[in-house]
Amino acid sequence: MAVKNLPIVPSGDPGALAEASNAAIQRIKRPEITDLAKVNPIVLLYCPDGAISLDENGILISYKLCKGCGICAKESEGIVMVPEYTGPKGIF
Amino acid sequence: MNKVLITGSEAAALGAKLAKIEVLGYYPITPAFPAMERLSKYIDDEELNCKFIRVESDHSALAAVLGASLAGARSYTVTNSQGLLLMTEVAYHAAGLRQPIVMGVANRALSAPHSRFPEQGDAVSQGASGWIQFFCENNQDIIDNTIQAFRIAEELRNPVMVNYEGYIQSHTLEEVYVPDQEKVTVFLPLNRQPALDITHPRGVNTVTSPEFYTDYKYIQNEAMTEALNVIPRVAEEYNKEFDAESCGLVEGYRLEDAEHVLVAMGSIVSTARILVDELRKEGKKIGLLKVKVWRPFPAKAILDLLQKARYVTVLDKNIVFGVGGALATDIKAASYGQDNLIINGVILGLGGRKCGVDEIKEAVNHTESSDSDKNRSEWIGL
Repeated sequence: MAVKNLPIVPSGDPGALAEASNAAIQRIKRPEITDLAKVNPIVLLYCPDGAISLDENGILISYKLCKGCGICAKESEGIVMVPEYTGPKGIF
Repeated sequence: MNKVLITGSEAAALGAKLAKIEVLGYYPITPAFPAMERLSKYIDDEELNCKFIRVESDHSALAAVLGASLAGARSYTVTNSQGLLLMTEVAYHAAGLRQPIVMGVANRALSAPHSRFPEQGDAVSQGASGWIQFFCENNQDIIDNTIQAFRIAEELRNPVMVNYEGYIQSHTLEEVYVPDQEKVTVFLPLNRQPALDITHPRGVNTVTSPEFYTDYKYIQNEAMTEALNVIPRVAEEYNKEFDAESCGLVEGYRLEDAEHVLVAMGSIVSTARILVDELRKEGKKIGLLKVKVWRPFPAKAILDLLQKARYVTVLDKNIVFGVGGALATDIKAASYGQDNLIINGVILGLGGRKCGVDEIKEAVNHTESSDSDKNRSEWIGL
C-alpha cells in the first residue's frame, strides 16, 4: 500500500468542498456507464438523488448530484462503480 | 552563559524570550500564570517583540496561538490542569495541522474534587493528542527543554509540550544557567512555514474523506516516530553549543551494575536521585532512569537501560483509572516478552500528596517483597 502524497497541513483549494464540480469527497466510488446499450432505464427511478437522467444522447449521470450509493450499478448491467481516488493522489 | 536564581515559571518565560516568540496567547490560570506575567513584563519593557493576545478562555488561547502559527509566527502559550483540558479540542487541531507550537504546562491535579496541587494527570490526559511531551526534572531542564522544543517542533512540524510541575518547579527558586541570546538566535533560525497565504488562499482543516484521513494520520505518526531520532540529536547539538548537560530521550543514573532501577519523569526524578545515593551508600545496587520524553514513547531507549535489571519500580504521579500509572503501563507494554524483569508500577504524590525519599523507599521495598502484585498498580502513601 502506498501512502498518498498529501500536504503537511491538511488543507484544500477554496470551494473544493461545496461549489467545485469535483466536490465528490463524500463519495468513495462513483458509477460509470461502461456499456450504454445494456443500461436498464429503470435506474432513472431507482436513483434516490435523481442523478440519472435521459436525453437524446442516452442516459447521463450527474456527479454533482450522485452520492455514490451504488444502487444503479446493482440494479442494472452496463454500470460499474469505480474508486473515486486511485493511487497516491493528493489535494482534492 | 550567566547563572541566575529563578523559579520554573521564570525559566519557562526566559526560554520563550530567548526563542524570540512572536505571539503569546494566554488565559490566567494557577500555577502557570507567573510565566505569563514575566513574559508580559518582557513585552512591556520592550525586551521582547511579541504580540500578547489576551483571550476569554484557554480554548481561545490555544486557538489564537494556532492561528498565529498557521500564519507563520513563532507561537507559545502556557497553561495547566483545567486549562489544558479546555484546550484539548484545539490541542488535537494543532497536532493534526502539524503546527510547531510550544506550550509550557505547569502540571496540576485535575478536578473533581478540585485541587490546586501538583500532579501529572493533566499532561497524561493529552497522551494521545499527538503532542510531543517533555518532562522536566528541574528549572535548568525547563529552560533547556523550552529552547530545544522550538527547534524540534519546527523541524518536525509537530507541537511540543514542556511539562514542569506546579509549585514544586513553577514557584521554586533554583540556580539556572542561561544561554546567551546571540547563540540561541543562531541555534533557532526562524524558518517560517506559513499555511495561510493571502495570495493563494486555501481552506485549512478541510473535511477529509476516508480515502485520505488514514493517510494523514499515518504521516502524522511517522513524524512522531521520527522525533525519537530528532530529539537526542538536538539535545546533543544544544549541549555542544551551550556547554550544557541536557537529557536526550532518557538518562541513566548509577545504572552500571544496578539490579533495581527506579523509573520516573518530572520533579520526582531529583527526589529519587537522593534515595539512590542513600541506598548506594548502604551497598544496595540501585539506579535511576529519568524519562524526559514521554510522547513519543522511547521504548527502545528505556529497555536498553533496563537490560541488566531484575527489579523495576516505576513512579507515577498520575492515575489512568482502571489501568494504573501511565508510565508504568507503557513500560510494561514495551517490555512484553522480557520475562526477566519484575516491573512494579507505583502511584504516589497525587494532588500534592507527599512523595519524598521515604515514600519512594517504601515503593522500592514493596517491589522486592513477595506480596507485591505485579499486575496492578500499588498505591503508596495512602
